[in-house]
Amino acid sequence: MQRYDIVIVGAGITGCAIARQLARYDASIAVIEAANDIACGTTKANGGLVHAGYDPAPGTCKASVNARGCALYGQWSRELGFGFNRTGSMVLGFSETDREHLEHLLENGRANGVPDLRIIQGDEIREHEPRANADATCALWCPSTGYVDPFEVAIAAAENAAANGVEFHRGARLDGVDRDDDGRFILHTEAGDFSAKTLINAAGNGCGEVSRMAGGEPFEMVWRQGNIAVLDHEETPLMPLYPIPTPVSKGVIVTGTVHGNTVITATAAIREAGDTDTYAADVNELLEGARKLVPDLDTRRVVRTFAGGRAVIKGLNDFFIAPSTLAPGLFQAAGIQSPGVASAPAVAERMDALLHEAGIALPEKPGWNPLRERPVDFDSESTERKRALIERDPAWGRIVCRCETVPEAEIVEAIHRTPGAVSVEGVKRRCRAGMGRCQSGFCQSRVVRILARELGCSPSDVLLEDAGSQIVFGPLKEVQA
Amino acid sequence: MTSTIPATAAVAHAYDVVVIGGGPAGMGAAIAAQQAGARVAIVERDAHLGGILRQCIHPGFGLEHFKEELTGPEYAQRLINEVAALPIDVHTGAMVIAIDGDADTVGGGAHRVTCMSEEELLELDARAVVLAMGCRERTRSEIKIPGSRPAGVFTAGLAQRYINIENLAPGRRAVILGSGDIGLIMARRCALEGMEVEGVYELMPYANGLYRNVKNCLEDFGIPLHLSTTVTRIIGDARVEAVEVSRVDEHLSPIPGTERVVPCDTLLLSVGLIPENELSTKAGVELDPRTRGAKVDESLMTSVPGIFSCGNVLHVHDLADNATAEAQRAGRAAATWALRESDREDESQDAIAVEAAGLAGYAVPSRINGVDALVKIWFRVRAPIECGRIRIISGDETLFCGKPRAFKPSIMESVPVTPAMLKRAQGRITLSIESIEEDAR
Repeated sequence: MQRYDIVIVGAGITGCAIARQLARYDASIAVIEAANDIACGTTKANGGLVHAGYDPAPGTCKASVNARGCALYGQWSRELGFGFNRTGSMVLGFSETDREHLEHLLENGRANGVPDLRIIQGDEIREHEPRANADATCALWCPSTGYVDPFEVAIAAAENAAANGVEFHRGARLDGVDRDDDGRFILHTEAGDFSAKTLINAAGNGCGEVSRMAGGEPFEMVWRQGNIAVLDHEETPLMPLYPIPTPVSKGVIVTGTVHGNTVITATAAIREAGDTDTYAADVNELLEGARKLVPDLDTRRVVRTFAGGRAVIKGLNDFFIAPSTLAPGLFQAAGIQSPGVASAPAVAERMDALLHEAGIALPEKPGWNPLRERPVDFDSESTERKRALIERDPAWGRIVCRCETVPEAEIVEAIHRTPGAVSVEGVKRRCRAGMGRCQSGFCQSRVVRILARELGCSPSDVLLEDAGSQIVFGPLKEVQA
Repeated sequence: MTSTIPATAAVAHAYDVVVIGGGPAGMGAAIAAQQAGARVAIVERDAHLGGILRQCIHPGFGLEHFKEELTGPEYAQRLINEVAALPIDVHTGAMVIAIDGDADTVGGGAHRVTCMSEEELLELDARAVVLAMGCRERTRSEIKIPGSRPAGVFTAGLAQRYINIENLAPGRRAVILGSGDIGLIMARRCALEGMEVEGVYELMPYANGLYRNVKNCLEDFGIPLHLSTTVTRIIGDARVEAVEVSRVDEHLSPIPGTERVVPCDTLLLSVGLIPENELSTKAGVELDPRTRGAKVDESLMTSVPGIFSCGNVLHVHDLADNATAEAQRAGRAAATWALRESDREDESQDAIAVEAAGLAGYAVPSRINGVDALVKIWFRVRAPIECGRIRIISGDETLFCGKPRAFKPSIMESVPVTPAMLKRAQGRITLSIESIEEDAR
């Protein structure tokens, strides 16, 4: 049985950020994840917005980590080498009632420490985003909002944590938790048993179950599902545009992405736990909502729709980041719904502080490296650099994904990073092969071949995502050598 | 053979015509351009010439172009042999990443084509460029099929590649959505490989593919075709477990209460093709929203002087033979443009605009520059018409009225416009297909 000082349950953006934060200490740390890869739950079904923090009610846990997380993103993106655009955003108002809402958000935001908020009107709206609906009469201008690729953030944090000694166990769904005589947690998982002195619950939608297994707070979870649509690349990515928020969500937002796409995010409907289906009504709601903010948006350019559940604790419209009052040694990062991406660096910082406050000895680790080098993103490299890469290895000149211009070498690197891609979707999340307008119609068979070769398995063993997601069967016919 | 590239040009990669794409259109264009006296290169991103034909192992190709029935690979090989016998430079495994009209090109070329291969980053300078990149398949996301996102959902062409090139089966029990030709051919192909094909479902009240394919691929194999029915949900966590199908009303909306769950592990989609024009758009080529291909004149030149377009990247053809024939015209025109003595006057200001109306889905070309030669206007109807006719109209005047007959959306057709008609046109002509019953009302 592998013994660790700290085990983090859940390798979403929260768990990976915590792992990265704690990797600076001289402690043995592991992250266990039910899915086959990191960033596969709520993190995957996310619009990637780094919300500024004017929504949460002042005094809430959300309020305390959202603005702080947003502020930390600049530093995190530099250290971890992921894309982050701090573009600023606008909440558009179309009436006097809307203006009152904006005033309320402004006050909230100021109380939460969101910098430089202002209500603007008329031409100033179009100066920030020329495509914003011309009927918008007023807007809350928020310069600190930005966006990231949420998988990229989680993967970058995980890679940096791994480089500093954190171990990742994927495909390790937690089945049960016991304590040994020393009070250590014994974690029974699909990938074997682990022992941990300290347990951190960052299990997203699974945080209620994990907490109960570990003897902690019996959170009851609500599956507040959201559908999201991704549109093809635009010449100029859109600034994030928000409608007036609804009582339960921020409403349907339109935003650019770090890769130049447009994302429409997200609907909010209470559905059965685990439901990641998309729904025709939700997708229509997204497209209609988006056209209200950006009337000239060509919604025929949808390349992907998807859905996921926000990790909402019933009766608590807030995060729960605290030591468990019921289970000593268990620390909760639970109910991390929206704004989970924006808050992740601050949630990690908060967890670090909680462990210290609890008197857990965490000496600094000599040689800790906060930096992670950004992997080569061939498409965005200069012509000279492309030429040099091809000269070094011809695999940089073999384009596998033509929509996103991803060469074979970039895919091979994605597979061999730690923790590396083990599935077609894992390759997609790391280097975008298959993420474009043809949705892997051209490159999937090629990616399957590369994965089989690099992982030393047969193409019929290659998975799309989790166990049981084999893509092909075969071979069809015996081939004479 | 005359070449306009000065013998002193220092750079090896200077051409009269660079053709992008080495499928049935690209090869046709390259051969025609070379035969018209141009120095020609083909850039093909795959390791071999042939394009999608390489995986189309069924017969039905070549009846027009080679006057005999061939399989896709045979048809491709005929063209590959012709290319090999001519002094045409072929760059395979090379993907074009940019077409730049403003580059400081060598040898008098107006366009610089930048492409990557595993050997190097190539820069080809060309007086004329022929776009022949073909098309891509529409995906489940574009038609917004709700439900889960498991393994086992394939575009028909991807499944065809798995079976015919990779020797792998995409599944065991398939449902096929869409009765386009690829869907029909894949229904038969899956059946021949021992897969169970539960049925083909079609949103429209008619089959979208050629009649011969409905007969040969479905009827002969006992595969049912369900019209006015579509997939309304994909079910399954890791792998497809079933799909929900529903009947649709006359507005193509699913009818509540008609849902039926069909167990299967595979869903193949044959729901349309889209010309692959991302590169063209980046080069400044203007697109026709109806075809999603370039707007061209009768010589197949796009809105960018010296850039031509042909084959499926211009508009989706139902026969490879037609794509090749069109490409030959584009190749000849590109060679003529590249080898011209002096800069051609900008004629487009006096061009006759061509529009589609009524049940005509589109018209290619979208403008006609010269009035002295016969021009064929290519079109496709939006819906089947039992009895309709073609009218060519300019202003209030009907220039041409065709005989009453049937039209099918699966068949691309052309109508000749004579110099006499063009001379009577007042800056604009409209190709209209009208149902006769409507006319009488």
